Amino acid sequence: ILCVPQKTIRPLCAIRGMHKSAVEVLERPAPEDTVTASFGQFISGVKPQHLSSVVLHRSKRMVLDSIGVGLLGSTTDVFELALQHCQHMYAPDDISSVYGRRGTKLSPTLAAFVNGVAAHSMDFDDTWHPATHPSGAVLPALLALSERMPGNKPSGLDFLLAFNVGIEIQGRLMRFSNEARNIPKKFHPPSVVGTMGSAAACACLLSLNASQCSHALAIAASLSGAPMANAATQSKPLHIGNASRLGLEAAQLASRGLEASPLVLDAVTGVAGFSAFYEDYMPQPLTSPNGETHTFLLEEQDMGFKRFPAHLGMHWVADAAAAVHKFIVGIESNTVSPAQIQDIMLRVPHSKYINRPFPESEHQARHSFQFNACTALLDGEVTVESFSPAALRRPELLSLLSRVSVEHPHDNPANFDRMYGEVEVTLVGGDVLKGRCDTFYGHWRNPLTNESLRKKFRNNAGVVLPPENVEGLIEAVEGLDELEDCTPLLSQLQ
Amino acid sequence: MMLDTLGVGLIGTTTAVFNKAVQYSQCYKSEEKSSVWGKSSLTLPPPYAAFVNGIAVHSMDFDDTWHPATHPSGAVLPALLALAEAMPSQPSGLDLLLAFNVGLEVQGRLLRFSREACDIPKRFHPPSVVGVMGSAAASAKLLGLSPTQCTHALAIAASSAGAPLANTTTQTKPLHIGNAARRGLEAAQLAQMGLEGNPGILDMDCGFGVFYSDYNPTEMTQPSTSGFRWTLEDQGIAVKRFPAHLGMHWVVDAALAARAKLEGRVGNFDPSQIREVTLRVPPSKYINCPFPATEHQARHSFQFNACSALLDNNMMVGSFSEDQIGRPALKELLAKVKVESPEDNHPSFDKMYCEVAIETQQGQSYAARCDTFYGHWRKPLSHEDLLEKFRANASTVLSSEGVEGTIDAIGDLERNRDCASLGSYLKKTVQLNE
Repeated sequence: ILCVPQKTIRPLCAIRGMHKSAVEVLERPAPEDTVTASFGQFISGVKPQHLSSVVLHRSKRMVLDSIGVGLLGSTTDVFELALQHCQHMYAPDDISSVYGRRGTKLSPTLAAFVNGVAAHSMDFDDTWHPATHPSGAVLPALLALSERMPGNKPSGLDFLLAFNVGIEIQGRLMRFSNEARNIPKKFHPPSVVGTMGSAAACACLLSLNASQCSHALAIAASLSGAPMANAATQSKPLHIGNASRLGLEAAQLASRGLEASPLVLDAVTGVAGFSAFYEDYMPQPLTSPNGETHTFLLEEQDMGFKRFPAHLGMHWVADAAAAVHKFIVGIESNTVSPAQIQDIMLRVPHSKYINRPFPESEHQARHSFQFNACTALLDGEVTVESFSPAALRRPELLSLLSRVSVEHPHDNPANFDRMYGEVEVTLVGGDVLKGRCDTFYGHWRNPLTNESLRKKFRNNAGVVLPPENVEGLIEAVEGLDELEDCTPLLSQLQ
Repeated sequence: MMLDTLGVGLIGTTTAVFNKAVQYSQCYKSEEKSSVWGKSSLTLPPPYAAFVNGIAVHSMDFDDTWHPATHPSGAVLPALLALAEAMPSQPSGLDLLLAFNVGLEVQGRLLRFSREACDIPKRFHPPSVVGVMGSAAASAKLLGLSPTQCTHALAIAASSAGAPLANTTTQTKPLHIGNAARRGLEAAQLAQMGLEGNPGILDMDCGFGVFYSDYNPTEMTQPSTSGFRWTLEDQGIAVKRFPAHLGMHWVVDAALAARAKLEGRVGNFDPSQIREVTLRVPPSKYINCPFPATEHQARHSFQFNACSALLDNNMMVGSFSEDQIGRPALKELLAKVKVESPEDNHPSFDKMYCEVAIETQQGQSYAARCDTFYGHWRKPLSHEDLLEKFRANASTVLSSEGVEGTIDAIGDLERNRDCASLGSYLKKTVQLNE
């Protein structure tokens, strides 16, 4: 068979031409039938009216929580380091705001970077199922990009649409493998799907066409993937910072015409695309909204918000230990002291990177079943302050830590949808108290109330912003879908 | 290697992908400025200079290749030159050479941690895996970081490693090298500022091991001990003669030899007399492309390279232009190609071979086999041919002063007190206005 591709100026047409005529020879799907193209089509074609009220509501909660967490995160060492790096390496490009730093601006990708670092700096940001931290990868990029857009800023609804596209793409990608359902072992999920989500969201905000949207995803795939070993270290927040920045970069490069693999999301034997990050990979095309309806994943699977800044798994043991604390305080005294405790048994899922008997840094402490259980046992709760240097070294805490042992029951899978946490405390007198948590308060099955979410936001944002801005942001986010221009959101972040 | 990399990078500044990357990078400004190769007055913040120059180096798939497979220099040299320019006091030529070799050595060691790395890749594009680690190591060396900081530079870089193979054969492939250079440099800078990652990053399966299905790391022998040898001493580099995937070099040499046999018997070469061309090549999906439509695909197509060599009796930079890809004579010949993957043809740059068998309409058969192409580490380019490649590449953008000055500066590098002169020659362009 002779194939005669058209001689064209735009390489895209050459690819299409080749596919059309070479279909018989290569047995490849036509571009329109690929998973990759279906994603590009969705991102480009979805409209604000496709957002249901449930999705609007849930996503606004995510935006609020993410900003608050980012503002608080702007007080951390790792944030300061990342900011200095950007300012030393690059002149102050007076465009996009840095969370909580009045007058400090950076070029958009760098603002996305530092704000993303802030969002994840304390492990306080939202968590989804299958597991990732979706908002921190998407929101900073969108805020930075919005500030840079010349002339009129996007409307609140356009902003929310782009945000939801970024979340949706992450959710869809994670459903391409069974491996993604469990607590990860290899690649840190935000570094895999977060970059893709950021690219999708930015492509949407930039109104790229379907082909450019596909290329944005493909370019982003070459910027994805960081190993789990850096979780529980100071570098972990950079996974989200980089996801946000690099996704934005990918969209910008795509808008300038850079092209990449048109089959990046498809399963091609012998040549890995996005499949490189998973052992099992079964991609599905994304149906584009026809007419009025598209069911976003956020409608079917709500988000988890954290009540204290630690890995999600910690919330189960904290709630279980808090129940035991309450009981002890109720019957014996006003405080719990190590003298009363003989030993502590934790029944938790098996996951190496959150099993740390004696954490040595705040990063490790945020990833330690033992630390969080003992803190909640002593104090009745875990808070932001529980991870301060002084708190990490408390003698009462260290004393309790040495009495902890851990079991991994077979019925306790390493999966945020099905795990539980049990804390069994044997008192010196011989009494055995047991607390169990199947669903912590803040989990998607038991969501934080709006009041609780606002309270968390006020506590966080209030550390760096004046009260007018704090309340102004709450108002702007809660009314985001009605704002004709999202400037009120952008202007109060610092 | 440095000379070849510079030449390849200079010609690479004429490509579309390079131009897109420069336009993109110009939205960043900084007080520290590093040069863009082949541009007399364009500077960028150091990480972005590393980015665009790295892209230039890999833009045409013309850069060096090692075994186990990666393109080691393009990930390291752009980062080092960008960094050197921005340092308050310029490093000496010997410092630069040392840092460069550190960057190579680290890549070579990491590639030996898995058997998977020895074969033509299927999952992650190797420069994106080991290249960023090499860049981080080299940059850390040039910056004079402490051992702990160097370790953290590697850990931070690991979180920037790994791009999927599917983007090779596209316009994005060069960014794998550009990003390796840039992000390795960044990792070293962040480590210098005190950022920490996992100090066990190379030891753990969930660390650097995530990029391989079999992973067995071993400790590095220290240079002070008597057992130390640089990997580059025991394993040489392949330098390409034309800008295409390394595998193409075997099939081209075989095709040229087969054509010579036919011409020797028949007296001339007439493509219409060919009934069928059979290629016997190692199995590798991403370089098996029967009808490439873009230059990127053409550089990754056994079929295209064999036919192009048969028609032109040569392979050059210009062989991959849109006109050449679209010629009717080529397409006619492509339609006559059959590809086989014999079981004994292992997809490894150390072991593969290519055979080209031409069958004529008269039923005569002319076949040739290439086990080691000219330019492979087993049959390295002569110094004259290496210089000829450099001159041909560099003179597309540099004046003859720039071309010869660079050759001299590299030739004498270990004796240069500072490497600023090298940088200045890379900016002596043919036209001063761009």
